[in-house]
Amino acid sequence: MSSISASALQNLDESSRKDIMQFIEAEQSKSKVQMSIHNFTDMCFKKCNANRPITNGNLSSSEEQCLTNCLNRFLDTNIKVVQALQGQQ
Amino acid sequence: MALFGSSTSAAAGTASTTAGGKSQQLKQEIENQISQELAVANATELVSKITENCFEKCITQPSNILNGQEDQCINQCLEKYMRSWNVISKAYITRIQQQSAQDK
Repeated sequence: MSSISASALQNLDESSRKDIMQFIEAEQSKSKVQMSIHNFTDMCFKKCNANRPITNGNLSSSEEQCLTNCLNRFLDTNIKVVQALQGQQ
Repeated sequence: MALFGSSTSAAAGTASTTAGGKSQQLKQEIENQISQELAVANATELVSKITENCFEKCITQPSNILNGQEDQCINQCLEKYMRSWNVISKAYITRIQQQSAQDK
């Protein structure tokens, strides 16, 4: 991938700059979501495979359920904690 | 691979020689580079998480070589992890959508 020269950047017109800023913002929020997914997968993979060896590469329906539940209960916990700290229980 | 979700669309139209066309072309280049770098960051993170988890799961007694059983475990673990990533991703996006529908 070629790098973009600084002098070339000065030739950008106003609307292109605006577009790029918008693009960066969108990519940033996408990236945030992806990073959250990495963390949740890490956490729930550990939880759902605790105390048992990996014996195949597939996900059984109960494993899938475990992962989905793990994520949703984690997010519920997060909401509860925020609400409790806001004193709105 | 859809997993790395590159959002780059094909560069539109032919590049003209006008200033506006140049800007357009440069903009496309910048955006492609940003997408590319984020895709690399995403892949790197995935590799690191899989390595951590599968090392933990599969290499319980590190020996002088990676034996056949460990090798098989790593492959299965990798596959399982990627499938798990997809399940979590789908569930999380569903949840975000539900939440934002509620807030409206």
